[in-house]
Amino acid sequence: MLYREALNKALDEMMEKDETVVILGEDVGFYGGNYRVTEGLYAKYGEKRAIDTPIAENSIVGNAIGMAIGGLRPVAEIMTVNFILIAMDQIVNQMAKLRYMSGGKVELPMVVRTPQGVSKQLAAQHSQSLERFFTSTPGLITMVASDATAAYYGLKYAIELDDPVIFLEHELLYPMKMEIQERKDFDPFKADVVKEGKDITVVSYLKMLHDTLQAVSVIEKELGVSVEVINLHSLNPLDMETISKSVKKTGRFVIVTEEPKTGSFAGEIVSKVTEELFYQLDAPPLRICGEDVPTPYNRKLELLSIPTPDKIAKQIIYWGRENGI
Amino acid sequence: MEYKVVMPQLTDTMEEGKIVRWLKKEGDYVKKDEPLVEIESDKAVMEVPSMREGVLVKILAEEGEELPVGQPIAVIETEVEKAKEEVGKPVEVKKEEKPPEKRKEKVEIKVEGIKPPEKIKLPEGSASPSARKLAGELGLNLKELQGKGEIPTPAHEKDIKEYFYKKFFTKSALDILKEYNLDPEDVYKEIGKKKIDKTDLERYIKTKNIPITQKPSDIQSVLIKNLSKSTQIPVYYITHQFDISLILKQEKYTITAYIIKIFGDVMQDHPKIRTVYRNGMFYTYPSSNISVAISVGEELFNPTIKNVETKSLKQVYEDLQNLREKSKEKKLTVEDIQGATFSISNLGMFGIKQFFPVIPPFHSGIAGIGVAVDGIISVSFTFDHRVVNGVQAAQFVIELEKRMKDQKYIKSLK
Repeated sequence: MLYREALNKALDEMMEKDETVVILGEDVGFYGGNYRVTEGLYAKYGEKRAIDTPIAENSIVGNAIGMAIGGLRPVAEIMTVNFILIAMDQIVNQMAKLRYMSGGKVELPMVVRTPQGVSKQLAAQHSQSLERFFTSTPGLITMVASDATAAYYGLKYAIELDDPVIFLEHELLYPMKMEIQERKDFDPFKADVVKEGKDITVVSYLKMLHDTLQAVSVIEKELGVSVEVINLHSLNPLDMETISKSVKKTGRFVIVTEEPKTGSFAGEIVSKVTEELFYQLDAPPLRICGEDVPTPYNRKLELLSIPTPDKIAKQIIYWGRENGI
Repeated sequence: MEYKVVMPQLTDTMEEGKIVRWLKKEGDYVKKDEPLVEIESDKAVMEVPSMREGVLVKILAEEGEELPVGQPIAVIETEVEKAKEEVGKPVEVKKEEKPPEKRKEKVEIKVEGIKPPEKIKLPEGSASPSARKLAGELGLNLKELQGKGEIPTPAHEKDIKEYFYKKFFTKSALDILKEYNLDPEDVYKEIGKKKIDKTDLERYIKTKNIPITQKPSDIQSVLIKNLSKSTQIPVYYITHQFDISLILKQEKYTITAYIIKIFGDVMQDHPKIRTVYRNGMFYTYPSSNISVAISVGEELFNPTIKNVETKSLKQVYEDLQNLREKSKEKKLTVEDIQGATFSISNLGMFGIKQFFPVIPPFHSGIAGIGVAVDGIISVSFTFDHRVVNGVQAAQFVIELEKRMKDQKYIKSLK
């Protein structure tokens, strides 16, 4: 199964189960989605439940908000996160606020799905990672789907929630082959320890999780340590319990994200770790992030601007040696 | 000129594509830019136009087939005259042709180039938060010890622990701590002595009745798992006395070797003994493959002697010796431990008269061999009732007895 097929399966099952679930976005209907995530849904559920919209992101989200208030469970697709900036007024001023400003009287069971990240040579305007904008907006739940299991169970969970969810995917994950693991108890607000270890805690998500896992064996061999890897399914709220338990054991914390470093979500998570776990830390926390540049088009420069398995390994090894390993 | 049409890369992330539909058939004339084939990429189904003008002489990929980018999918002959002869003819491009190397970016990680970190010059007293906390708890004066060079600057948790262990435990005491997996800090606080030696620790362990904890080895873990599986098998037991005086008279090889050989021969006439039950299916194998329990130290192995029916007694004996050696040296391969349908365990060599063996998973049964008393051995069988019923088992056992008393047969075993 492909990652995108796991998303499609989740949408299909939810639409079949609950007729208030509708999808909307650019080319999500007849064409089947720019990344084929919504393939087959138009044929199965018709144009009233798989709705093709104009290229107008602000009104896609605005419509979804209206639908949610009116009793539907809309899942809006924004083709890539880069285009969501047009819709930020609806997201920040309406989607995130209506539940609070109505004193909880208005429920907003809606999801905005969108892929982010560096794909291959799509240049600066189409290669961004913008999780920071959502995680720093109170009133939004920001989920991430790093594998088929999180894609399938996570999206279903998000659709069933009565709160508004930003659901982040990654462009390079769509064509990746992976299986959905049986996880009846899947809870996106609990992070997964995907690899146990006792000396270094590494937290990551989306594409960087896969790059991190590739780097782990090299790091372990080179430093003679064991690395614990944590996969986040939700960035806000954040499962500090799992992170804290791990850092209390290892005393060392690393976060790997693709976004540019300055002002990043990675910075937020490091702050939380430092505040809560200062006396448990045996080394300064390490952020491995993208460079503070607009993503270059040139493939070599593009790869230089984001973490890769190679760079993740090298940075952690250097940092380890510098800090008493 | 022959022109090979290859699977195109339609999107930046596409690695393989699926032929949805051919829009032209073999023998058709195609113009340049005329739609030739529909291909499904990771993003969508697209019409792919022909890059050349000519006759489509051969289609190499069927509809529905998925192929990597760069793999030939059709041949176009650009010289029309030549094409007439070639339509439908086999073309040299073979399907098996090695697909072009995937243009995946390398994930090989090289870490040689990492420069050693610069030495940080920090004042004495510098330490990681957790190191400082630990030093505080242990009542160490960090600044003073760093000044004397006994703890490095900056200090990490590891440095404090190492210093603490060396200072408060003798070397032999540290070894014991490790063996018993004890937390040195707890022990230190409880014993309350300045320097703890071996005798202190041994006394501490005795008074507290602390066990040595040990993880089972990988092989032991497999054994434990299998034993647990065995308890799920519905079994029954049969005990029978066999007169083996003929074998004892002959005895050129060990009794175990004789027994394996006789069992293997008799199994040929009893297909149920060559049958195992696995995931809702019965599997009946043609060969008499018998596993033998071999214990080495604390570990138990169950390697298989294969095709016993075709082997001479001598070969069975040699196989058995060979598997014993391999078990001792822990050189058994997966091949060595697979494929048995029946098992034999012999405790007779220790003088045990009778015992009831546990059936290994995926076996029809197992026989426990006791010691010979006046030419008689007692053999206890454990059978998987799902595979072998009581009557079938009785017939098998009686046949075994007949063979053991068959003078001609026993003599024929070489």
